[in-house]
Amino acid sequence: MNTPSFGLDDFLPVLPAAILTAGAILLLVSEVFLGSATRTYQALLAVVTSVAAGALAFSNAFLPAHAVLQGYAVLDPFSSFTTVVVCLGTGLGALLGAGFLKHRNAERGEFYALLLFAAAGMSLLAMSAEFITLFVNLEVLSVSTYALTAYLRRGPRPSEAGFKYFILGAFAAALLLYGAALLYGATGTTHLSEMAAGLGAAAKAQPALVACGFFLVGAGFAFKVAAVPFHMWTPDVYEGAPTPVTAVMSAGVKAAAFVALVRVFLFLGPVFDPEVVFVIFSALAAATMVVGNLLAIPQRNVKRMLAYSSVAHAGYLLSGVAALFAPATVAPKSGVLSASATWGADSALRGEALKGLLFYLLAYTVTSLGSFGVVGALERREDETKGNAWDLDRFSGLAQRRPFQAAAMAVFLLSLGGIPPTVGFMAKLLVFRAAVDAGLVGLAVLGVLSSAAGVYYYLRVVVYMYMRPAVEGMQTPERQWTTEFALAASALAVVGLGLLPGSVSDWLSRAGLIFGQ
Amino acid sequence: MESPLVPYLPILAVLLLAGLMAMAIPALTTRLGPRSVNPIKSESFECGNPTLGTARQRFAVKFYVVALLFIVFDVEAVFLYPWAVNFRALGWFGYGTMLMFASTLVMGLVYIWKKGALEWES
Repeated sequence: MNTPSFGLDDFLPVLPAAILTAGAILLLVSEVFLGSATRTYQALLAVVTSVAAGALAFSNAFLPAHAVLQGYAVLDPFSSFTTVVVCLGTGLGALLGAGFLKHRNAERGEFYALLLFAAAGMSLLAMSAEFITLFVNLEVLSVSTYALTAYLRRGPRPSEAGFKYFILGAFAAALLLYGAALLYGATGTTHLSEMAAGLGAAAKAQPALVACGFFLVGAGFAFKVAAVPFHMWTPDVYEGAPTPVTAVMSAGVKAAAFVALVRVFLFLGPVFDPEVVFVIFSALAAATMVVGNLLAIPQRNVKRMLAYSSVAHAGYLLSGVAALFAPATVAPKSGVLSASATWGADSALRGEALKGLLFYLLAYTVTSLGSFGVVGALERREDETKGNAWDLDRFSGLAQRRPFQAAAMAVFLLSLGGIPPTVGFMAKLLVFRAAVDAGLVGLAVLGVLSSAAGVYYYLRVVVYMYMRPAVEGMQTPERQWTTEFALAASALAVVGLGLLPGSVSDWLSRAGLIFGQ
Repeated sequence: MESPLVPYLPILAVLLLAGLMAMAIPALTTRLGPRSVNPIKSESFECGNPTLGTARQRFAVKFYVVALLFIVFDVEAVFLYPWAVNFRALGWFGYGTMLMFASTLVMGLVYIWKKGALEWES
């Protein structure tokens, strides 16, 4: 029996996830052994852990891309970038959580531990190059988020949200697993690269089997990224979950799921049937953009509005994914062994599309964390049962009462709407330009039009904050320095990355080339 | 090319047969069997005490906690057996890996212990 031998090349890439896990275990143990009344140290520990993991992932980005742990995972700039984004989201989410939980007297180590476990799952999910690894990490991240959704378990809303998310999430995971099993049945391997090599022949021999597997995997991912028509859970779960958890869900979970989707479909899509994949992603993108934006318009509940807006943003991201498979960039169907051999001439376009996607994920992470952070900072525990905790009226006259939070919220909303000089504008520009370059003019026009509709409901909140007098009886909780710090950092990132997008573009260019190596 | 699923054809046949039987037998009994309904027969149990209250009792959450913890440590045992069988072949590498795995679980045990999840009477 030969024992596998692993070296530093194998351990360094998974070290960020190991640090996150160790931090989570430390938090669990400290929670039961240190019974002190103030638990702010836990949030700080979670932040330190995610900063350490993020820094390590950042340094990993400079390593050459290589297979890790016998090809079950890969390290490339693509996965390192995602890990950094995830760690950023987790750190900011922990800071937002600190103030939120303090107000509810619910600060516990388990909250931060679950956040870190989820982050470890996300980091490894971005690296997974094999279906079982991918599924296990998807479950690590999902189970942690199910528990976090119902973290404040008193009251009907969190339990409804937690239960819905769990049932539907488990169903989607089962779909994905079923699809992966069918693809395994067709090709005899769970490794994505080997599967891509064998899929062409398998698709000829058993077209129905491969097609079923493909669509089931696609449906599982579409659920995780909340693409229309798999978005139904999003508003209820986002609304019912504690607001910092919603922030992390819309940022980190979405980013990791998107990256896994892109990796799986970049391997398998071109071999299966590029045309079908292209048509499906275009249709998903168009439906998601339009439906998400239209449903967000009538919402008076700001948290629910942001949930629908997150659906719409998944649509913009999907148009970037569709650009990856646009006819011009797709390789000939036969003889696909390694992606580089056949994508060749169009790798520049594909690189641009991947670059746009990753930048969008970064932009959306800081922006949505910030916007949900402000929503969380304004909601009072006493109002949650009344159902108006997130009403637009709560934002009336915010500019007088809380000038800083109002200004930060305005910045985040402008970024969500895609208005310069914020990062949201640059992100949309990159994604839509990739779509236009790939020949998807119609999709890009639809995206711009629907995001113009989005500006209406984003700016409505700004109007309430700056041009309406405060409504009586809408108290806001005390300010917490952790929340203010996280909001300031997010706002700074939103404006800074909007003005200087070049600061990350070198990295993104390398990340965009991963599959061309 | 012969489909790799062909060897599984008997399983499909058994599945279909089982489904058919499951439908046919109750249908046949209701159609053919003699029926005599009387009050004693319609009671839940013909012997023993008459039933009290509803069967939909609420259980204490500690049952679920214990069941969950059982599963966690059961899975650990599942991992330990093949490792123990191959202990020599895996060498120090296997030892280190298993040590890491087990220590993670021990931390979990410490956590639930201190948290009081193992206290039945409280």
